[in-house]
Amino acid sequence: MLDTVVAAETPEGIILELHPAGLPARFYAFLLDWLIRLVILYGFAIVARFLGGLGMAFWIVLLFLLEWFYPIAFELGRSGATPGKKTFGLKVVMDNGLPITPAASLTRNLLRAADFLPFGYGFAIVSMLLRRDCKRLGDIGAATLVVHQPHAAPRITLEKVEPVAPVRPLAPRDQAALVALAARAPTLTGERLDELAAIAASVSGDRGRAGGAVTHRVLGVAQWLMGRRT
Amino acid sequence: MQIDALALRMRPRTPMEAADLGVRLCQSAARPVYVCYWAMGLPVVALSLATFEIADWLPGLLIWWAKPWLDQTILFVLSRAAFGQPTALGDLWNAQRRVWWSQLPLSLTLRRLSPWRSFTQPVYQLEGLPLFKTRRRVLQIRRGKTGPAVLMTSAFGTAELVLTVAVTSLMFWFMPGEVSRATLFSQSSTFIALPMTIAYAAVVLFLEPFYVAAGFAMYLNRRAQLEAWDVEQELRRAFAE
Repeated sequence: MLDTVVAAETPEGIILELHPAGLPARFYAFLLDWLIRLVILYGFAIVARFLGGLGMAFWIVLLFLLEWFYPIAFELGRSGATPGKKTFGLKVVMDNGLPITPAASLTRNLLRAADFLPFGYGFAIVSMLLRRDCKRLGDIGAATLVVHQPHAAPRITLEKVEPVAPVRPLAPRDQAALVALAARAPTLTGERLDELAAIAASVSGDRGRAGGAVTHRVLGVAQWLMGRRT
Repeated sequence: MQIDALALRMRPRTPMEAADLGVRLCQSAARPVYVCYWAMGLPVVALSLATFEIADWLPGLLIWWAKPWLDQTILFVLSRAAFGQPTALGDLWNAQRRVWWSQLPLSLTLRRLSPWRSFTQPVYQLEGLPLFKTRRRVLQIRRGKTGPAVLMTSAFGTAELVLTVAVTSLMFWFMPGEVSRATLFSQSSTFIALPMTIAYAAVVLFLEPFYVAAGFAMYLNRRAQLEAWDVEQELRRAFAE
């Protein structure tokens, strides 16, 4: 099935799923970072005016440093993301899922010059739209990936239903599916909930049946799987 | 709606991540999408460019105006691709009443100015509800998701603007002879308007499917959230007979 996913295998043989971030999220992360830099430069310019030529010199040095080293400093920091990326839940990693290395960060940010061509990150936009892993040229050069950080699942509180033991053993992934159903139950309409519970009716020995009582028992199995016994 | 026939993996996604799924869908269905879209879009662009004789700003306006109508063709192909169905020009022709004509008046007026049009268009075009029910349905889909839809639209809008300037500047780079700044701005406005309009048309022909797909995926993500499609996919996988 189609999904935005890049699989990375660790040396231990574990497959990691990375979710590359595309144009809209990265555009706003960039915009926010750009605004932050603009505010800093503007604020410093006000101070620099009182220092005359020396202030101007410092301002130009600051301009240079911010333009080239602002992303690098943040990407190599603990969060692996600039404030803009962090706001939109993005992170820069190597394309095998490891934390970004200094050389890679330097490469991907120096190559911004190539991405910027012919105007306003034109090549970056086209590259991000045409590639499955949404890399811009700098990411290709540095073997890095901008990913959506996995967001924490909301804490589950299940409605109290009499726990029911499943009639057959269930694989962990199947158990997770049932618990997910129970967690979403309060947000669904009654008919839709019955429809979904009917798919899983075989866990409570109700294969082929549907209705409120079946739903009740299937949700009871979810309770049992969560560890409640009474 | 047959969730088990859906060719997209639904999982809880933020709206922005859903937009990425749309771009991915557009990439995988690129051939039918662009065949059908260009079959409609190229004549529209050609006719629009023909109005250059009347006023040099008119073709750009006409192409901009026709976009929501062209989007309907793209959405038709994408909605079939989402269920793994291929689309040929014949299928489009057979569905022409639904795809091209039934939404035409509203597409060219009210919805042209909607800042979240690709997000709500699937409601109008695919759900087939009577007109008086669509309003409530659109409000339900939009609840709490209007912000991301507007952000997504303006991101693609900015990309369109940037790419138009980029393609125009490429044309001037490769123009034979010297074009100094003085000649660029002293010439009649046609000198810059023609390359710019052609660039805009090219960008629209390239970018629009991605925008429509992003909105369509955000819509699917919203419905998946409302109706727990992701749970259904997992349950069907786990408890398939």
